[in-house]
Amino acid sequence: MAWRAIVHSAIGTRHLKKQLPCQDFGSYVIQANTLIGAVADGAGSAKFSDVGAQMAVKTALDTLAQQQDDWSSMEFETMNAEAETLFKQMVETVVAALRAEAETGEYDLRELGCTLLSFIATPHWLACMQIGDGFIVTQAEQHQAEQMDCFELLFEPSKGEYINETVFVTSDHAVEQMQVAVRADHHPFVCAATDGLEKVAIRFQDWQAFPPFFKPFLECLRSIPDANERQAYLEAFLESERLNAKTDDDKTLLLCLFGPEADG
Amino acid sequence: MIGQPEFVENPENRCPVILLVDTSSSMSGAPMDALNSGLEAFKEAVLQDEQAALRVDVAIVSFGPVELVQDFVTIDQFIPLQLEAHGLTPMGEAISYALDLLENRKTTYRNNGIQYYRPWVFLITDGAPNPDSPWQQAAERLKNAEAQRKLSFFAVGVQGADMSILNQIAPPERPPLMLNGLDFRSMFLWLSDSMVRVSSSTVGGDMVALPPVGWGQIAT
Repeated sequence: MAWRAIVHSAIGTRHLKKQLPCQDFGSYVIQANTLIGAVADGAGSAKFSDVGAQMAVKTALDTLAQQQDDWSSMEFETMNAEAETLFKQMVETVVAALRAEAETGEYDLRELGCTLLSFIATPHWLACMQIGDGFIVTQAEQHQAEQMDCFELLFEPSKGEYINETVFVTSDHAVEQMQVAVRADHHPFVCAATDGLEKVAIRFQDWQAFPPFFKPFLECLRSIPDANERQAYLEAFLESERLNAKTDDDKTLLLCLFGPEADG
Repeated sequence: MIGQPEFVENPENRCPVILLVDTSSSMSGAPMDALNSGLEAFKEAVLQDEQAALRVDVAIVSFGPVELVQDFVTIDQFIPLQLEAHGLTPMGEAISYALDLLENRKTTYRNNGIQYYRPWVFLITDGAPNPDSPWQQAAERLKNAEAQRKLSFFAVGVQGADMSILNQIAPPERPPLMLNGLDFRSMFLWLSDSMVRVSSSTVGGDMVALPPVGWGQIAT
């Protein structure tokens, strides 16, 4: 049994038009039976948010990866009790790194503003945090076994009342507005994405994950043996005109599956 | 709950704006004509931007007496109507009406899973409230709504407007503007440009930079 994952960020048509860089970033690391993943969406209004998003993701992954050699040896109860503190410290490390970067470049910390979603997935539990919008969606093992279209949206995106507002790691009260969740049992499927995909993946009326969006990716991870082909499938989707007709924003998708085969 | 057809056909985010127009008799003649053609210029300008045409959601409330002459409609569906001037100036009642209208609209958005931008209320007047109009209460309500970031309120005075009262109604960070002559056209083009910017703005937390105001002066 092993994790396999694909991740890609695609620039939004609006950013292309305005000659802005892609301000999204996503990445992951695999340590034995544990996968640590993170995605970030740079603030449209922040000048260097593309740098901010990359730095936030890398720092978050490094921090979590260095903290434990083997997260899967930790009990759910321990993780459940410590998750809040753990992620809070991680965010503080991220903000410290961003602050140092801003000082070096002699600009305001807010110019690096970005959202941040990260998670630690082991075969016994799943721990996640989210600051700002975007989403983490999972499928528990029992639902997978029963072949049910049952996906769970872990957090409602934290937005202000208005669509053009959200919280960033650089916001004054970012840590207080951080959402944290720890789930017992195994969640073989975990997906994290930035808000550019909310419209097509989440039903806003009742904040439900929309199964037709997730199922093909689950299938892709499960049944395409070649890693390059899996990656190509994701990239083709994120760069497709069909998707761009529905969203003009940058979009990042990180998809992970714990399955029987070793990563090919 | 059944979604309303307007949101099924057009699930775009909405950028609501209420035009609160003084239609008291002093507005009749040239001012009303200029305002009506300005309204048409507004529609034409927003239509130039495909996305804004689906997002800018306009309602028109006339006062003298208070009447919802145009319920919320996106610009692609909007047919500018000819406003007529008659009657008095129940400004306070009109402001309260607009605040209620806005809250109802937000509820409708939420019930239909529609996301939205911070609404604008745009008041245009050439006079002063009726002596019996509860404008102070309306101003108080407006101040609270502004403080809670429920909306952005703009007040525009046309020649003859009581700017000192408008000053007491408008929020301090957005003082009332005196329209240059009857240049409603420029004002509406500015409104269109601003709405296009707001309706295409992305998550950022910061204020959208509005275009410079070339059509009026800040009353001092």
